[in-house]
Amino acid sequence: MKLSVGAQTDAGMVRSNNEDNFFIAPEMGLLVVADGMGGHASGEVASKMAIDVIKDYFDGLSSGQEKLIGTYHEDFSRATNRIASALRLANMAVYEASMSAPQWHGMGTTLACVFVENNRLSIAHVGDSRVYLIRAGEIEQLTDDHSLVYEQVKRDLITKEQAEKSEMKNILTRAIGTSPDVGVDIDEMNISDGDILLLCTDGLTGMVLDDQILSVVTQTRDPHEACDSLIRLANENGGLDNVTVITAYVVKERWFSSLVNFLKRFRR
Amino acid sequence: MSKLILKFKEAVLKEMPLEQDEMSIGRKPENDIPIDNQAVSGRHARIFKEGDGVFIEDLGSLNGTFLNGQKVSKAELYNGDVILIGIHTLEFIGEKTRETDKKAFAVRGRSMDETMVIDPHDQKKILAAADKDKPEVTGGFLVIEGSTEKREYELKERVTTIGKEDGAGIRLKGFFAPKVAALVNRRKEGYFITPSGGKAMKINGEEVNHRYDLKDGDIVEVANLKMQFYVKD
Repeated sequence: MKLSVGAQTDAGMVRSNNEDNFFIAPEMGLLVVADGMGGHASGEVASKMAIDVIKDYFDGLSSGQEKLIGTYHEDFSRATNRIASALRLANMAVYEASMSAPQWHGMGTTLACVFVENNRLSIAHVGDSRVYLIRAGEIEQLTDDHSLVYEQVKRDLITKEQAEKSEMKNILTRAIGTSPDVGVDIDEMNISDGDILLLCTDGLTGMVLDDQILSVVTQTRDPHEACDSLIRLANENGGLDNVTVITAYVVKERWFSSLVNFLKRFRR
Repeated sequence: MSKLILKFKEAVLKEMPLEQDEMSIGRKPENDIPIDNQAVSGRHARIFKEGDGVFIEDLGSLNGTFLNGQKVSKAELYNGDVILIGIHTLEFIGEKTRETDKKAFAVRGRSMDETMVIDPHDQKKILAAADKDKPEVTGGFLVIEGSTEKREYELKERVTTIGKEDGAGIRLKGFFAPKVAALVNRRKEGYFITPSGGKAMKINGEEVNHRYDLKDGDIVEVANLKMQFYVKD
């Protein structure tokens, strides 16, 4: 499968700094968003650091180094276990940094990461940044937010509508870098031609409804246009938080494009 | 005189003048301010006068008492303060305004819209109140009629496609089979099936053209395929 990817981040209409970060490597099938938090601008440090660790991890893989950290889940593929390891490594790095300097104390970040290999999608996340799948005109959230309100919804204490308005909306139950260990949620599934993957920080989902996201991304096949429209929509609705969106349109590699790619190697 | 306004979302439920020196808040009806909600402890918190001030004190409640978005054990109340108990809010109207304290808030950089992480220990306390975490169900389809690769499909993924498409979890054969006939979603609360873009679907013999929540034993007919949905214990 080939990914046609667009990504965009914006500080929003209220905040002066942007603590979100993202990384895309479509040829590798890797997409990551991060939403940092913490005082003295340390949120930016945390999200940047976490993303850099993941980047380095995958660079290391291509040069033959493979570090698997934490429990290996036999039910899941090696690829899925790898991205979970990358997130755990990011947690260790951010946590150690936060301990090393007083102005970084308490910093942390969310991470939502997907990896696509052939027709398999691997997902790993910590925090309330989300991964969505848009398929056959339907949108489905593939990640469960690690937030207090989501836990309350799960336990039927409050409804989804109440959760959206809750004053405790910003309380996370897990984050990268706030404790020496972190539970990384992983999942995997098949993807097919025509699917759209969307990764975003809560600056989007707090401002734009799932159905609106669905209609924006299905109206175009241009991933950059989709990102721009979603960010514009978030800002029009108030833009209360930093917002980051990655859209990836899944396209089946046709035999002739594979051939072109193959031939390209000889042109160098 | 100072008063308290009990609200649920935007709706004002009650206005109470602070006549007594002390008022108790809790789920039990004998409290001065009873709040009938399972997120509220039997005796949750109290509001009392001390010197020239009015204070709120949490009485060791499970879900905590939040003052202007911050968890508190005991704190002085100022005009316009918002107390969050469970999912209800209490607004405090008083004479004293929070001047100096607002600064303290700003210095510590803890505004209500700032993202925070909560300690796992506190988390357990907050959520233990209603910890009836249901075990996740797994379901699947048994194929009764139709041309597919397998006779049984366990549905483990969040979204499974029924169709001819390469990535389809339940792959249909035959030249005329649709690329995507229907999608099956797995959520914590169970499974549901949605026919894709106007495709015909029958559940237990009845035509269904929208999202349907699957129950154990349902017979699903879609694109020349007849299957029974089951739930594993």
